[in-house]
Amino acid sequence: MMKRKMTILGLLVLIISFTVGCSKANDVEVSSDNGVKEDQVVIDFFHRWPNEPRKSFYQEKADAFMALNPNVKINIDAVLNDSYKEKIRVLVSNDDLPDIFTSWSDSFALNLVSSGRIMPINDILEADTDWKDSIIASQFSGFTFDEVTYGIPFTIDGKAFFYNKSIFAENNLEAPKTYAEFIKVLDALQAAGYEIPIVEGLTNAWAISHYEGTILQRLLDPRVTEVDYNETTGTFTDPGYVRGLEIFKELTQYMGDVSTAIDHETARNMFAKGESPIVYMQFAEIKMVEDQTDMDFGFFNFPSIEGGKGDQNALTGAPEGWMLSKNAPKEAVDFLKFLTSKETAYDFTKADGQLNAIIGGVDAENSSPISMEAFNLVIEASATAPWFDNAVNINIADIFMRGGQSLATGESTPQDIMKEVQAEADRLRK
Amino acid sequence: MMNKRIRKQKNRMTLGNLVVSIVLCIGSIIILYPLLWMVISSMKSYDEIYNNVWGLPSKWLIENYKTAWSIGISNYFMNSVIVTIITVLSVLIIASMAAFALSRYRSRFIDIALVVIMSGMMINPQVALIPLFDILTKLGLINTRLALILPYIAFRLPLSILLLRSYFLSIPREIQESAIIDGCSEFGIYRRIYLPMSKPILMTTIVLTSFYAWNEFLFATIFIDSDILRTIPSGLMNFRDALRTDWGVLLSGMVIATIPMIILLIFIQKHLVRGLSEGSVKG
Amino acid sequence: MNKFKNKIAAFLFLLPCLIFLFIFVFIPLFKNFYNSFFEYSVFSTTKDFVGLDNFKLLLTDKTIKVALLNNIRYAIISVIFQVGLGLVLAAVLEHQFFRKLAPFFRVTFFMPVMISISVIALLFGFIYNPQIGILNSFLELVGLETLSKAWLGNSSTAIYAVIAMSQWQSVGYIMMLFIVAIQRISKELYEAAEIDGASKIKQFFYITVPQVKETLFINILLTITGSMLVFNEPYILTNGGPGVSSMTMAVYMYQSGFFKDRMGYASTIAITIFIITAILAIIQIRISHTGKD
Repeated sequence: MMKRKMTILGLLVLIISFTVGCSKANDVEVSSDNGVKEDQVVIDFFHRWPNEPRKSFYQEKADAFMALNPNVKINIDAVLNDSYKEKIRVLVSNDDLPDIFTSWSDSFALNLVSSGRIMPINDILEADTDWKDSIIASQFSGFTFDEVTYGIPFTIDGKAFFYNKSIFAENNLEAPKTYAEFIKVLDALQAAGYEIPIVEGLTNAWAISHYEGTILQRLLDPRVTEVDYNETTGTFTDPGYVRGLEIFKELTQYMGDVSTAIDHETARNMFAKGESPIVYMQFAEIKMVEDQTDMDFGFFNFPSIEGGKGDQNALTGAPEGWMLSKNAPKEAVDFLKFLTSKETAYDFTKADGQLNAIIGGVDAENSSPISMEAFNLVIEASATAPWFDNAVNINIADIFMRGGQSLATGESTPQDIMKEVQAEADRLRK
Repeated sequence: MMNKRIRKQKNRMTLGNLVVSIVLCIGSIIILYPLLWMVISSMKSYDEIYNNVWGLPSKWLIENYKTAWSIGISNYFMNSVIVTIITVLSVLIIASMAAFALSRYRSRFIDIALVVIMSGMMINPQVALIPLFDILTKLGLINTRLALILPYIAFRLPLSILLLRSYFLSIPREIQESAIIDGCSEFGIYRRIYLPMSKPILMTTIVLTSFYAWNEFLFATIFIDSDILRTIPSGLMNFRDALRTDWGVLLSGMVIATIPMIILLIFIQKHLVRGLSEGSVKG
Repeated sequence: MNKFKNKIAAFLFLLPCLIFLFIFVFIPLFKNFYNSFFEYSVFSTTKDFVGLDNFKLLLTDKTIKVALLNNIRYAIISVIFQVGLGLVLAAVLEHQFFRKLAPFFRVTFFMPVMISISVIALLFGFIYNPQIGILNSFLELVGLETLSKAWLGNSSTAIYAVIAMSQWQSVGYIMMLFIVAIQRISKELYEAAEIDGASKIKQFFYITVPQVKETLFINILLTITGSMLVFNEPYILTNGGPGVSSMTMAVYMYQSGFFKDRMGYASTIAITIFIITAILAIIQIRISHTGKD
């Protein structure tokens, strides 16, 4: 009888040890903390590019740093965009932040900073002025709150309309300066046989939010948006919002039936293939178009809107950069300096095409003329507007984005969408 | 005599039979053509997929498969194998023990346990998703393979237990009695009599559970973030996002993900059909 | 003594199973009920008690209505195509005339069931693609280009395109269940009918259907339950869009919880799904019991 019980108990132990056993195996996979020597420092590095070329790029840079500092072990983890946002929020709430990780600027960064778990880096910057001065000073603003800097800007970006120069030349068209001119250009292109004069992939909700964000920035008084974009005070009652959505709806009429069935990448490919003459895209995408085609293309900023109360020359787009956890070891600071060195930045832009905020990190050697033009526009922009989906509460952004799809399919009206937004804003204010 | 005439009649090609045959063939084409397209296009370049939808590739790009394998599928594949094997083994052990108890003993406790297990069948993964996410986060298991394995086991148990129990009930009592006389312990009866006598139903359980664990999508997407830990179903979605325009490679990855299941289908048809009809595993 | 010993053994044999079920199935269910009275986000440490607010919101939420309607559409179409067509296919393939070809068709129709949903959804993404999709190319090929459209980008067709994919995948599964059931029918019934001169269609309605009645009911319930839970297909193909036109309950639950950070409201939606499916499950258990006894 004793024996029986023992066997059963033994089996239970077996099962339990079995499950625990595999949890250990997992830990090794994820962080390989086991077998770390006494003097070895482990840095957890978390970014949001599990795709090429950046995945390999950061792996190589981490390997290079480890070769220079044999006592350092860098663990890299990477998840894509939306899951990155979710993951980093969970990690910051659990005080489980990686030592060094990527962050968007402005409201996204502010949310992280408000947790009190991000390392302020003023002192480190002041102690190494060479490093500080190697970074374009204007790009720090999105990571600086109450005069304390929490992040190092690295990539810079902006969004503009890219156009097919030869199609424009054939039809005697010029890059429009105002919204009215823009509509004329679109009409002319349509008359010339381009069924889809402007292409966009509206299945990507963020692509819609980029349009809406820029239109609203042009139309609305910055004081209004400042109040509305804050979830504790927002009401969204300004009539400018309805007008903004009407403008977006008008633009979707030029995007053809396919717009709501394709993603942004497909839209970009259609532009690269010359099927559609205009696309609204980020500077970070220039190289992807260049890799696909020899077509001659240029860009223009979102046209000014007559009667708009915002800065008509502002550029939508914001830098992204690196942040450190408050508990990060000093080696992580060294790694951060390594990641934002001129050499790394130069290689980065060469490999990826995206522009960076390190002085000397972008030149005519590693960037095409059009990228250089974009670079100068970013540096000289009178103001920058953050990405809309990062700027407002996600519940508000969701209504705007899904509403944008419904506008394109003709299922909803700007008035209905704003009613929904206002109801949601009321709920959030409570 | 009579029978033969009837059979002959049945085998004659009538108009009705012809129409049905044609319809069946069209149905097969609707099923098979997309799969064939997937295989053919997986060896095309992006330009050919885009511009030549129907044709064969001008150059068969076998290296798409190599690329797909090396940039991630191999990793997802391994994760799927690990998750599936551990899930199947655990389900087999835990479910057969429970089914043994349910079929061998009689008491109030057993009755209650049976009701509990049966009501477990009413709860679907979708319903448990959000609290499970909380629980796994609190246990520090989120983003580990256990975040998939443990819920998979739990959600497969009720069905597996009921399948095994009904089979165990058919094992004659006399064999058990003789085993006890021979000095077998309770555990011995379970291990030496029940398990060896139930190979067919154990096989069915293996097939059903591995089918589930291999293809599960919801938990795999939400409980795992790291690319290195993803299983094939969720890994493929990452593949889509990461590959941008390498459709040929994406399609190769899809083919690789499909092949093991098709092979399984060919080899274990019998067990599968039996399992499906007894277990109703639609998921 | 022996009884007591057996009790201990029974308990120990059942313990691992019960632990798993409680931690990962039952506690989540109860937590779901509990959470639906609160509002909180994924990363907050506190929950705000909101009483029945979430349920009130549920009743006025337009998206819920769209989602539930889509689930019902899913159910109706799936019952017609999967159960209806599956039964007809099974009957045809079990017929004497197709004996030789049946194994081929069986494997063919069953093949999509074995393929992972992410592969199928990605594949149908290509099929429905407005530019390269083989569906539109096919329509053009047979001169029906007026019918071609952006299937997933049109709010009136998106949900049907998603449903159509599910039919493609699952008809073989239901067919297989019916084949097993039909094989249990005594051959003599058909032979007797043949002698009486009953047509094949008559045989189908007077022998096959009544004989597989129980399987038929179960399959209808299974299909409806599956339709109420559907997540993967719309999530991968359309993410509920354009707008909310192809939203289903499960996708909306996921979006509310993990995208919009409203875990309490998402729990409320989960409870709604649970109530619907639990009722269906109870009916199913009742039916399968009366059938067996």
